[in-house]
Amino acid sequence: MGNSSLEIIINLAKTVVVFLMMVQAVPILVWLERRGSAFIQNRFGPNRVGPLGLVQLLADAAKFLNKEDFVPDKGNRLLFYAAPVFALIPAAVAYMAMPMSTPLKIGDSTFLIQGYEVNVGIVFILGISAMAVYTMLMAGFGSSSKFSLMGAMRASAQVISYELALGLAIVGVIMMYGTFNLTDMVLAQQGAFHFSGFGREFSLSFLPNWGIFYQPLGAVIFFAAAFAESNRLPFDLAEGEAELVAGFHTEYGGFKMLMFFIGEYGHMMIASGLMTTFYFGGYGIPGWTIAEVYQTGVSIFGSETGGSIFSSVMHFLSYNVKFAIFLWIFIHVRWTLPRFRYDQLMDLGWKTMLPWALFNTILTATVIFLASQYVI
Amino acid sequence: MSMDTVLFWFLSLIVIVPALAVVLLSNPVYSALSLVMTMVGVAAVFATLNAYFLAGVQLIVYTGAVMVLFVMVLMLFDLKHDLQTFSRGKVSGFLKIAGVGVMAGLLVGAISLATKKPSLIVEGSPLANELAAAAASGADNTKILAENLFLRNMLGFEILGVLLLVIAVGTVALSRSKGGTHARD
Repeated sequence: MGNSSLEIIINLAKTVVVFLMMVQAVPILVWLERRGSAFIQNRFGPNRVGPLGLVQLLADAAKFLNKEDFVPDKGNRLLFYAAPVFALIPAAVAYMAMPMSTPLKIGDSTFLIQGYEVNVGIVFILGISAMAVYTMLMAGFGSSSKFSLMGAMRASAQVISYELALGLAIVGVIMMYGTFNLTDMVLAQQGAFHFSGFGREFSLSFLPNWGIFYQPLGAVIFFAAAFAESNRLPFDLAEGEAELVAGFHTEYGGFKMLMFFIGEYGHMMIASGLMTTFYFGGYGIPGWTIAEVYQTGVSIFGSETGGSIFSSVMHFLSYNVKFAIFLWIFIHVRWTLPRFRYDQLMDLGWKTMLPWALFNTILTATVIFLASQYVI
Repeated sequence: MSMDTVLFWFLSLIVIVPALAVVLLSNPVYSALSLVMTMVGVAAVFATLNAYFLAGVQLIVYTGAVMVLFVMVLMLFDLKHDLQTFSRGKVSGFLKIAGVGVMAGLLVGAISLATKKPSLIVEGSPLANELAAAAASGADNTKILAENLFLRNMLGFEILGVLLLVIAVGTVALSRSKGGTHARD
């Protein structure tokens, strides 16, 4: 937690700041989604309220706050009200464990640029974000409407199925880096592409040492499963408008609906953050190692504190650029691909992605074993 | 009271109150959701004991998969009908008394075992030394767990795996023998 009371206070305040960052990013993503979809489909999108339609979201928020607070007559009031609140918790708690930059050192105090560090980062994030299923189940049951219940059933079945493929795709990453800690993984991806095995050294100076070059299959499976986990198109059967009205949040309106939205975007952010951390070097800057960035900062500002702040800011920017690219891919895919049929979804999850993820695990284990035992 | 004590009592409350709610509430959906809360609380207790990996696995396996299936199945039932049959039957009455007996036995066992240390963590044994070293260095003990499972107790681990497989195959065979999901009753 920290040594002095100042450190403890700042570390506690950080958890609130990360949560606010997450919530504040949602309006921007919604705007991006609506404008982006409009451009993809050759429309205008929201462009009346404010410059580029940016203030549309404030107008939307005001509208959400003024809506009627509706509860279905025969619904379960407790679960109906609890579900949207629970939608926020897993996404926010899991995102806080994501390392976003190098630690900030001011004097004797060290501040991590992440909500809190968990030693078994991956297991923690997977465990917490798996709890999002209960939100859907509670919403579906609490509404006591057939559409809602069907949507909730579909959503939870889908999330459980794809969790297996997601978990197995990550096993390759864990074996490769030999750690559960996300910060250690980011540090292992520093510098140019290089590894030693079979009694030799391999290196390519023009490639960064990113996980994607070691685990391409795992990265593809992980990214596809992450779409299913966050209930985004092409896997949004939970709220297939054509047959289920809006799935588990059919009966919700106003701000409660918005909270489900924030939860969904939160899961998108977790998936993008994990993708960045596992396969694209985390907050690392390609061709510029952490030590070099720090030295540059020291030479510019003439003090170690200055160097540390410079390093934190630069790496934070680097992380957010990668993070934003993945969020944009999430949005772009939504408006590009059509939805799967339910049997296709289950076939893809159980008969295609799970065997390939298993194959990836076995292949990684074999290569790691051979590389450490034999000399070519 | 130190921070750890406060945390311990708080987490105990989070584990025990929902655990009581599982038994005392009459709505099965509430009971299942309370059981989820208990599982989360137990995971948090594991985390306070420095068993971070176990805490994570507890979250993924029990709250993330097992309990989701429980809740899903419960929500599909006609709850009013089941509520009546379950709370007012002779069989369920017998089950309740048997449950109280098992619970009492477990309590006595837990209290009598709590006074002596389990043989695995006796002072001076290799495992105890390793655990102490890991706790002192602040590292997680995932590695020790893995070495125990995959190197020292490989046979037991594999037998457990086969047992689980047998259970899975047996369940499928049993459900298929009565017509599977298309059964008419």
